Amino acid sequence: MAVQAEPIPPVVAAGEASVLMFLVAGKQLAVDLDRVQQILEYQPPTRTPRRPPTVEGIIRHKGRYLPVVSLRRRLGVEEPGPASSAILLLSGIGQDPLMGLMVDQVLRVLSLQPDKLPPPPPRVFGIRVEFIRGVVNAGGRPVVWLDMVKLLTSAEPITLLA
Amino acid sequence: MTIPRAVGIVTAPLQGGGPTATKGELVERLTPAKRRVGARAEAPAVREKFLLFRVGDEIYGMGLRGLREVLLSDGVTSLPAPPYQVCVALTYRGRKLPVIRMSALFEVPPGGASGTERVLLTQGRGRPLGLLVDDVLEMSEVDPARITPLPALASLLDPACFRGVFTRQDRIILLVNEDGLGGFDEVVHFYAAGT
Repeated sequence: MAVQAEPIPPVVAAGEASVLMFLVAGKQLAVDLDRVQQILEYQPPTRTPRRPPTVEGIIRHKGRYLPVVSLRRRLGVEEPGPASSAILLLSGIGQDPLMGLMVDQVLRVLSLQPDKLPPPPPRVFGIRVEFIRGVVNAGGRPVVWLDMVKLLTSAEPITLLA
Repeated sequence: MTIPRAVGIVTAPLQGGGPTATKGELVERLTPAKRRVGARAEAPAVREKFLLFRVGDEIYGMGLRGLREVLLSDGVTSLPAPPYQVCVALTYRGRKLPVIRMSALFEVPPGGASGTERVLLTQGRGRPLGLLVDDVLEMSEVDPARITPLPALASLLDPACFRGVFTRQDRIILLVNEDGLGGFDEVVHFYAAGT
């Protein structure tokens, strides 16, 4: 997968938001694009001792050491992801200024209008509404726009439905 | 590498990073006629020495300044559980000392081959402390400015247990903090109970 050196700010109209779509265990999910600092090819993290269950370890990027969280693990998916996983560098989540989030595959940027989204149901794909900002349709399939701050700072167990 | 039963390592306060220079040598070094293109005029960076060791599949380091000896592990004895889940004991020169089994502390399967385990004898919070590791590897010199704090999310252990991380030959190495380990509750209990 190509490494994007710098995220390209999209032209966003008033009332619109841009999200980055990606896949985890076959489900289309999305995160606010303004949280994504960079997209990296997968590199095996160094396993840190007594790490939290969702943490794979740490990697080094541009002289900084970042924790890497597996979104598969956070969503209760036990099977390991593909070898071609990607790491999203996210800012503004938790105590560390930057963190890596492992996803199966990055898809594309999607523009949406948050004010026009209907309220999400209580659960989508097994994910509770507290962790969902909205659900949109892309290519005939649902895309769950996640509240990544709440999702990654909560310890509530989640089981992604098959 | 063959290590005798006790390898005495005489520790001395580290000097600056480079050889001692006389004033005359410094003046000569800074004379423009002697200066080579691209040569730095400033003193070389201070580098600190670390002993690298293995626990499980990962490599860690400990400051050489605090290391007293490297011992074979065959003198280690168990301690009653509870309260001791991680620590064992070692009688050394007539004194019983706490030894942290690093694989137990880190919750990883021991990874050393038979006979490679060693006890690193150091000081933690001013008291003798042993670290039982899977294998002792080599020494490495690091510019302290290159040591970065461990990310908060990286471990559930007390951050005081780690001095930081650095990269050597594309491998990330975590540095332990002996004083932080000396504050580990089982070590504190060991000394408080006069075990």
